[in-house]
Amino acid sequence: MEFPAALFPSYFGAGPPREDGGLAPVAGWGEHGQVLEGGPGRRQAQPAFVPRRGAAGERWEAADAAAVPVLLPSEGCWIPSPAPQDILYRSDLCRKLRAGKSGATLDFARQLGHFFVDHPEDAFGSLGHLLHKNFYLGHSKLKRPARNSTIRMTALVEDINRLEARRGCPRQHLASRLRWFSHLCRDWLFEVPLGLLADYLHEELTLQWSNLLFDDSLTGGALAWLPLGDGETSVGRLVHPGGQAMNRLYFQDVVLEKVPHTRGSAAQFELSGRIRQVAAARVDGEDFVGVRSDYHCGVWRVPGRTGAAPTPLQVIHTDVPASCLTVSPHLPGELSVCTQSGTVYLWNVDTGLQQVLYDPQTMFFRDHSPWRWSDFTAHPRVLSCADRTGLQCLDARAPKKCHFDLFKVGEEAGCQQGERVVLPIYLGRAHPSQYLITTQFSVYVLDERLPLVPVLKWAHMMKAPPLFAHLMPGNPGRSHKVLLGASRTQELLLLQYRARFWGVSSGGSQSACQLAGTPQKLHSIAGCLQHLPTQLPHRHHLLQQRLTAPAMGMAAALQEDGPRKSMLVFQLSEAGDVFCQRLTQKTTQPSAPPSRDEATTAPGSSPLFEAPASSPQGLAAALRYRRWLRAFSRCCRESSQHTWLPRLSQRRLFSRRDLEESAGPSTPQRQMRQRLRQAMKEGGLIQCWEPSALQPPPLPQTLEPAGGLDPLSARLTAAWAGDWEQWWEDRTSFRVAQRQWALRERRRQQKRARGHRSLSASFTSSLTYQSELSELSDSGPPLPSAGRPPIFSQEGSPPAGSPPVRSPPTSPAPDEALLSSQSLRCRGIPKERRKTLRDYLSVWAKGPPEPTEPPEPPGSQASHLCIPSSQSQLCIPSSQSQLSSASQPRRKRPRMGF
Amino acid sequence: SSNEHKLNFKKSKEACLSYIQDALLQKQWKRAAEFLTCYVESLEKDYSREHIGPSEMIWRIGTEILWHHSHSSMKEFSYFMEQMKTLGVKRYLKVCLEHVFHLLCNGQIDEAYQNLSLAESWRFGEQTAIQGKEMKLIQAYRGLLDYYSWSKQKNILLEHGEDGFSDLAVEQEMHGYFRKAAVNLKEIIKIPGVWDVFVKCYVDLLEFYGDHNEARQVLNEYAYNSRFPANPNAHVYLYQFLKRQGESKKSLISALKILHDIVPSHELMIDFNTMLQKSKKRKKRRLGLEVIFAALDYAGWKENAKAWSCLARQVKQIVTSEKHLDWIKQEWNSRKDWWPAFHFSRYLAKRNWQENKSLSYEKALVAGILLGKDCKYFKHVSQQGCKAQLKRFRMLKKFVNRHNPVYLRISG
Repeated sequence: MEFPAALFPSYFGAGPPREDGGLAPVAGWGEHGQVLEGGPGRRQAQPAFVPRRGAAGERWEAADAAAVPVLLPSEGCWIPSPAPQDILYRSDLCRKLRAGKSGATLDFARQLGHFFVDHPEDAFGSLGHLLHKNFYLGHSKLKRPARNSTIRMTALVEDINRLEARRGCPRQHLASRLRWFSHLCRDWLFEVPLGLLADYLHEELTLQWSNLLFDDSLTGGALAWLPLGDGETSVGRLVHPGGQAMNRLYFQDVVLEKVPHTRGSAAQFELSGRIRQVAAARVDGEDFVGVRSDYHCGVWRVPGRTGAAPTPLQVIHTDVPASCLTVSPHLPGELSVCTQSGTVYLWNVDTGLQQVLYDPQTMFFRDHSPWRWSDFTAHPRVLSCADRTGLQCLDARAPKKCHFDLFKVGEEAGCQQGERVVLPIYLGRAHPSQYLITTQFSVYVLDERLPLVPVLKWAHMMKAPPLFAHLMPGNPGRSHKVLLGASRTQELLLLQYRARFWGVSSGGSQSACQLAGTPQKLHSIAGCLQHLPTQLPHRHHLLQQRLTAPAMGMAAALQEDGPRKSMLVFQLSEAGDVFCQRLTQKTTQPSAPPSRDEATTAPGSSPLFEAPASSPQGLAAALRYRRWLRAFSRCCRESSQHTWLPRLSQRRLFSRRDLEESAGPSTPQRQMRQRLRQAMKEGGLIQCWEPSALQPPPLPQTLEPAGGLDPLSARLTAAWAGDWEQWWEDRTSFRVAQRQWALRERRRQQKRARGHRSLSASFTSSLTYQSELSELSDSGPPLPSAGRPPIFSQEGSPPAGSPPVRSPPTSPAPDEALLSSQSLRCRGIPKERRKTLRDYLSVWAKGPPEPTEPPEPPGSQASHLCIPSSQSQLCIPSSQSQLSSASQPRRKRPRMGF
Repeated sequence: SSNEHKLNFKKSKEACLSYIQDALLQKQWKRAAEFLTCYVESLEKDYSREHIGPSEMIWRIGTEILWHHSHSSMKEFSYFMEQMKTLGVKRYLKVCLEHVFHLLCNGQIDEAYQNLSLAESWRFGEQTAIQGKEMKLIQAYRGLLDYYSWSKQKNILLEHGEDGFSDLAVEQEMHGYFRKAAVNLKEIIKIPGVWDVFVKCYVDLLEFYGDHNEARQVLNEYAYNSRFPANPNAHVYLYQFLKRQGESKKSLISALKILHDIVPSHELMIDFNTMLQKSKKRKKRRLGLEVIFAALDYAGWKENAKAWSCLARQVKQIVTSEKHLDWIKQEWNSRKDWWPAFHFSRYLAKRNWQENKSLSYEKALVAGILLGKDCKYFKHVSQQGCKAQLKRFRMLKKFVNRHNPVYLRISG
């Protein structure tokens, strides 16, 4: 390959990076960088200039609105990797501290507690056995002789629980009993000395946390696409990890049709470690696939013919985790391996391992990261070795003597302070002497014939560092495509660069590297979430968790179908899902911007599902989604059967005396106790702790269904309310007398309830309400009424005892009066504002649909709740009152062990 | 409170920015433009102390949108740029440069020149280091444009000169351009960097006016100053200059020798090899063999028929003369464990035969000598060649068979 006759001008400095920057959000836009004479118009009188960035590129457009799953989710549940909230300390105090930039606090105590609870045998096995006679776990008081040698543990547990409840409280006092106990037995109770255990745990926690911030074990990606050598571009082989522990290697044939689909069953290998990287290269018509896990690396040979089975060739074992495995594009069966100890090996299947470099220190300046990388260069015996500070090329035959620096984080390449190498890849398939180096801020293209000076540099603006890169070489005269992928954010970016000028028929002359077209964002796996049909909340959550799992790899295939060229981009997530998207090349200049992309799509309404019949491709994609979702929900169901459901014992929460004690000073407390007792008796849940939930969620109005409703909706309404049987009886026997009696009975109940002056009744009168509330605010959380306790059994349907129907507003007079124009006038509200106010109030007051009532003032039971503006926290969101109890999402509470 | 207000403002600013970014990355220029009009508000209360402030963001985003927006025009672009220049003092020169680049790429050379002159005369307080660099670049680009004007005048003059008619005014103008260009170009190439275009132009100017010493000095400095990056082009320019000057073979060879040391895979290595092969000195012929072997180590040369024929010619020469077989042996020693798989595999034999017969001929000759007549590559190619009844290949087979013992001596 010729060296370009002239390069773009640039300054060259030496030394540490001078520029002080950071992750700048738009640093990559709007710059040409430099210009150079050249280009198509050379014969004209005037010189023609080409820019380093901003030249026209190919137009690629996404064919679908979202990425489509290629494989069905595998059976067996997927265990998500820890999220920040799992290992960080959560409390208001801490949040305040973090706002002051004190860094994250790891929740060390909780994790230690988890260990003790989950592995009691390992934590206190032997002494526990020895001492179990001296620990008493009952509730009753100990008798005199036993008290000398026995401790009542229940009291300690209660103390601990009390501590737990007061967590984050600044005035937290340790119970003296606990302090005494821990002082007494800290040294001998634990199987593993507590200090040691704590050290290990802390080490593990910090490791997990740093992995969460940036996990470099995935560098390179664990997905590979092997096109078949038969010249058939529509079939290929996908190499990907799978299984619950990602320790199975699959070679799956895939047919690239409108929506790619698998063909036949995959060749499968079970490995003894989690697969971190899958690297592949084609030499002499055969593919060599290298697979890296932490302590093992293996190599497979895959013949380029259809149906030929992959054969495992060799496995090596490393003492220190390997951080890199690359396959030589020059020689069959040759790979390079790096370990975190700073060793680089050239690995030949025939001759074994050859150590090329051992250097535990980083190359150009000190950096703590043990990450190392190596790749091949244009010379088959010269390896490039990289760490976070730069890249060196060494001759494997004489590594000490023959080496040169290819890239240095410093002024030479115009780096920023704090910039570090993330991934270097050899671009040999596009140009034999070029290299791509990504950092967290920029991408660089380097030519090994001109070391240290990047021939191309561009700030990629990705939110997470690009851990994956994939090259798709363009034919002579066309641009090379590079895909960059990030792990945590699943970002995918398509870049184009060119090393030849266009226009000349013979493919153009060699020119300096230039970036072509604008960078383009591709769909991520998580992006399809908004196009999926609406799910139940918990299902949505599961789906979201699954789809937003960090990406683990990326691969792409170019497909040329006559004049039509398309690109298929595969993305693998940590959950083992492989999604694919198709991009097609547009040859014509854009006449009008694509309309579909301009509008943001609403959830559940997407071209993928709305009009799938309009295009066969859309239909196939929609079908694929349906199948994937079905399989996914099956997986979820299976996994949820295995997991242990948390249970709460009611017996020990309060002693009998506690419950029977009725000397409480105020009525609300008494009511509360009553409710609690009732709830416990029924084994139900109490939902309305928060003041915002004061109002029991009403069921759809079913009081007088006989009126205008047609039989079907009446029946459905009844079924919804849970008394379908009743409806049937009514319908068949039509016991009028019984119904009349029931109605009378209900009215009497309502009257009684009003007489009781319960809280719910008080809502109807804004005057009494406020005074009562101010009382309540002193004595704890305000309580719902005792007249109709909002207690539901586990199924979520109302208990059989209470009427399933929400009481109608008992005294509609006050609020109607409130909204009437007269009263508004009295309050000095000008006429033109009254309507606004009424509308505003009605928004809050949208109660259950009342078919019998005239629509004019929609004021109902909740409207006046908002009137006392001082108590604004009591406003009930209108949606809540509309929801039936069954579909109302239960508010999650912090509970121990979560 | 004002702090909260600041926070909210910052949040909405960030949200707006992320929308813009999203639109840009999806090539939705119209949408991005709409969001940008909202983002302009962020200039009002600029609390940020970040690396890239809102005004720079607006410049970058706006420029990008105007490049691609279907309704934008050069006039609008220039108007926008003028506004952006006034937005930040520190960035004035940078924006000027980018504006000039855009004008140049769109063929508006004269406007670009005006802008460059304007930027050159700009003064504001003390210059920072970066501004100093930018100013130098502005001057250099002006010098470059002056050079193009000079070369245009020169061409006119040369054409007219053929007609036997000389125009004094044009000549004067040309000399004026020369002076302006030379001053500016001379400045920038003193600073370490990659200045291929500027060096070429400056040398061209100097050569035209016969200042060969200065030209040689400039090129030597550009090639051999250790503060400059190891740019192969610097050596190429020097070599070409020496060739133009009709320098001796010796100095040409020494120039190329240095290029060979820093870039053994440079395409000039073929010229170098032919030059060395013709030499009468043993040492030089030896170097020639080294050069061609080293070039063929690189993946980019794998299918270079010219290079293979160079190697084949020299190997053949050595084998027939039966002198210096140890040269081949030494070169082969460090390559015998990987060249067979890299160059002479069965797969490559098939492919080379199908794609390029003459390449496979040269390679087969080398393979036959180095690996013996039983080597896969040689066997396949010679069989195919004999099957196709090509005389060349029959001769090749004979030659390799006759010199088969050489293989034993080389590999032994």
